[in-house]
Amino acid sequence: MTLHATRRAQAMATVAAAALLLALPAGAQVDLGTEEQRAAGKVVYDKYCGQCHGDTGDGNGYATPRVKPKPRDFTTGTYKFRTTPNGMLPTDDDLRRVIEIGAPYTSMPGWPNLTSAEIQNVIYYIKSFSPDFENPDRYGEPIEIPRPLESTEESIARGRVVYEEQGCAACHGEVGRGDGPSAPTLVNDKGDPIKVADLTQRWTYRGGATKEDIYRTFSTGLNGTPMPSYADSLEIEDRQHLVNYVYSLGDGDEPNYGTLITAVYSEEPIDLQDGETLDALFEAAPTTRFPLVGQITEPGRNFFPSVTSIEAQAVYNRDEIAFRVRWHDLRADTSGRNSPSLEVPMWDEDNGIGDDAGDDGGDSDDFFGDFGGEEAPAEDDFFGDSGGDDFFGDGGDDFFGAADAGPPGAEFSDAVALQFPASLAPEGTPELKPYFLYGDSQNPVDLWFVNLTYGVADTFRGRGSESIEPTEADIVEAVTSYDQGEWTVTYKRRRSSRAGVSFAEQQYTPLAFSVWDGFNRERGNKRALSSWFYVYTEPSVQAATTFPIVRAAVIVLVLELLVVFLVRRRARQKAAGEEAAGTTLATTEAPAV
Amino acid sequence: MLGLNLPVVIVLAAIGGVLAWRRANTLTWLLYTWVALWAFFKYGFAVPIPQSVATIYLGITGLALVCFASSSRERLSETVQPIVRLILEPRYRLALAGLLVALPALAAYNVYADLNVPLEAPGFGREVHPPPPTEMTVHDETVDMATAENPYLHYKHDDPELYGEHLENGRRVYYENCFWCHGDGMGGDGMFAHGLNPVPSNFNDVGTLPILQSSFVHWRIAKGAPGLPGAGTPWDSMMPAWEKFLTTEEMWDVNLFIYDFNGYEPRALGQH
Ligand code: HEC
Ligand code: HEC
Ligand code: HEC
Repeated sequence: MTLHATRRAQAMATVAAAALLLALPAGAQVDLGTEEQRAAGKVVYDKYCGQCHGDTGDGNGYATPRVKPKPRDFTTGTYKFRTTPNGMLPTDDDLRRVIEIGAPYTSMPGWPNLTSAEIQNVIYYIKSFSPDFENPDRYGEPIEIPRPLESTEESIARGRVVYEEQGCAACHGEVGRGDGPSAPTLVNDKGDPIKVADLTQRWTYRGGATKEDIYRTFSTGLNGTPMPSYADSLEIEDRQHLVNYVYSLGDGDEPNYGTLITAVYSEEPIDLQDGETLDALFEAAPTTRFPLVGQITEPGRNFFPSVTSIEAQAVYNRDEIAFRVRWHDLRADTSGRNSPSLEVPMWDEDNGIGDDAGDDGGDSDDFFGDFGGEEAPAEDDFFGDSGGDDFFGDGGDDFFGAADAGPPGAEFSDAVALQFPASLAPEGTPELKPYFLYGDSQNPVDLWFVNLTYGVADTFRGRGSESIEPTEADIVEAVTSYDQGEWTVTYKRRRSSRAGVSFAEQQYTPLAFSVWDGFNRERGNKRALSSWFYVYTEPSVQAATTFPIVRAAVIVLVLELLVVFLVRRRARQKAAGEEAAGTTLATTEAPAV
Repeated sequence: MLGLNLPVVIVLAAIGGVLAWRRANTLTWLLYTWVALWAFFKYGFAVPIPQSVATIYLGITGLALVCFASSSRERLSETVQPIVRLILEPRYRLALAGLLVALPALAAYNVYADLNVPLEAPGFGREVHPPPPTEMTVHDETVDMATAENPYLHYKHDDPELYGEHLENGRRVYYENCFWCHGDGMGGDGMFAHGLNPVPSNFNDVGTLPILQSSFVHWRIAKGAPGLPGAGTPWDSMMPAWEKFLTTEEMWDVNLFIYDFNGYEPRALGQH
């Protein structure tokens, strides 16, 4: 990344210098490559890019209905990640950067295996899709990105003021979790709903996470999206402070995904109603972040889950164990329904809402095509679309009529579930687990499911996606809260269970997570989920560590001294023997240790 | 395909060379043999061999070295000589004192490090290519695994145009269903791959598609993780059973496409 950054900086400096010194007209930057270069670029494009960006560059590839954000439509000349001013075309270096490293947490991957020449050729080919690249007026001077200022407290405080004054919070939220009041209403210039960046999870920034990238993002804006350019409204220095503030919101550069929660022991009672003591208990427990991905293994697939990670902790005392999970969600959806087994019709797997790619046949596409059409739907329409209550109603009303039904997104609620094996693997088969997707007929799982409309935990026994039954064997309690874009759910259960898994000390218990975002119409198997991970119940009495360390050292020392002593005694005896035999030998007298 | 970590092997061999050139004494050789072996087991393989196995090898080697050293009177005294001199001669007094302190410190550190390894989720080996069943039923059709072949492969020579149509259909199937896990370029690095354990197969790898028959790949595509025997940890893998979503033709087409995209041919029938 730093390499890219420097290379980019150098390239930019060169371009800027050339333009300044020679005072070239902007049109001089028009460089569409040679016929051969474009032809070579087409070969690369057809193999690696067309399946998403479309063989004709219109963004309508095979994958398009199932990815969000959608692949760029190269015929429009609209690009997000640019060093050039708002509305302008990107430079070749901007395009190269995206192609080399991709846009993280979107379906646009980086292509590190393409050679520099291949990338240049494919850039020439991409540019040939849009006549804009022949128009000198669409080219702008790349902005200069100053070195970041030192991240002092004053600088961050000033950045916070700028953040408030400029209204970033309206979209990005008070503390940057992507939960601003406008967040649920935003669409891009094609009418597709667009997710506001969660500024606290820097690793998900699509345009890059360095301070230079952040500076560039809000200085030039992301064309085609609601993310504006602040080049005209902000002095350079204020922008640098703002960079420091945005950076300070971040939870680190990397997600540092883990595979294990350590449950720590406490003598204290665990009282879910006593928030302060509860927080203090969890304060002492380490937090692990786990990756979540869309469930795309069984019908009811979720190709673009809203939530990409979840944080978890655990504490236990003599009788009880408690889990706390946290994740970010742009809005609390607490009025709809949800359950682990809600049916998801096939058409709801695809990227329907506001879809403008609906002309390649298929009933599902037509359905959405009717809603989205070519022009951006009004905000209300968009929610109306998703609120297809009638469609689900058994009454069989015409679901197209749903466009004017119900409050926004009221149909499905947010939800979360922890999943444990119903019993631990028998002795000798420690790797054996139930199928990670709601278990299987031989090895069931238990789900601790919380529909956030009600905020209480329901338990289910899963024997596969087709067989999920409520159980009452164990009482699981839960408390939930939503604060500034973050859900917190705390569960508690007795450690021992007759029907399910018991949490013994020093035990590794498999555990998996599911999260549903009602706003994204997630329910049933359309969810974000994790692989199997583990929770480890730390021993309640920590073994002393100094004793074994000292013991090891002492044993080795004693052995050493013994060897030294024996060797020396032997040498002395030998010397004595030889003296007795009348031989003269200059043996050294062993010094006392 | 030995999976060796070459730089480590070269360094170890080079040290051996230096010892030979300096005509190192027996004790040095014995120590070198053991330490080099330890380093080889620990760092010499791209995928480290299990600790327990390495411990057994090292134990046996240690025993063999002791036997070797004590195999004759001369060799024994030759081996022990340097140690005796270190203990007896005053000019080594400082070195001896140093050693007396260093060894217990090393032992203490070892125990300390052992106590402080960060906790990790238990890991289990899994067989990547477990034996397939002898036959299976896909969409009501029985497939004999020993004789089944991709029915469209022969079009490559017989009817390139038709072959191209099947490939294009396979491309569609792949980019509508597979790339989230197996990756856009099939490197096993799709946008969901970081959340999967086991990780999705890398189809660029010469150790995957070319060593498999197309019927094996068909089995894996049709039956997915749930079709694996226990040795393949079917409960962990997210590989879907595509017969739930795709027609038989679509499954053979995507089979064709993943081979073609990477420039590989399936292993021929009867070839082992
Ligand atoms: C699996 C689908 C997929 C493949 C394959 C793919 N892309 Fe993309 N690409 C996307 C998506 C999705 C976006 C939009 C990302 C966003 O909006 O944040 C995108 C965006 C882009 C952009 C625009 C960046 C900007 O600043 O707006 C370029 C340029 C690009 N891709 C080039 C390529 C090239 C070149 C290839 C082939 C080597 C390729 N893509 C292959 C999905 C894909
Ligand atoms: C009108 C709503 C809106 C406002 C106001 C807004 N943003 Fe954004 N911002 C967005 C959206 C939407 C995205 C996501 C765009 C995308 O992913 O394509 C975004 C993305 C970003 C990103 C990450 C880009 C990336 O690489 O993924 C940063 C950083 C950012 N905004 C900073 C700011 C700052 C700082 C401000 C205030 C000065 C601000 N935004 C104001 C809507 C807004
Ligand atoms: C949800 C993720 C996911 C999706 C989607 C997926 N796979 Fe897989 N696939 C995996 C994982 C994980 C493995 C490795 C573990 C295993 O062998 O089950 C795998 C293994 C395979 C194998 C076995 C390779 C070998 O070396 O034995 C084949 C063949 C395969 N996948 C083909 C496909 C095809 C074709 C598609 C699309 C139709 C697809 N996969 C979609 C996750 C996925």
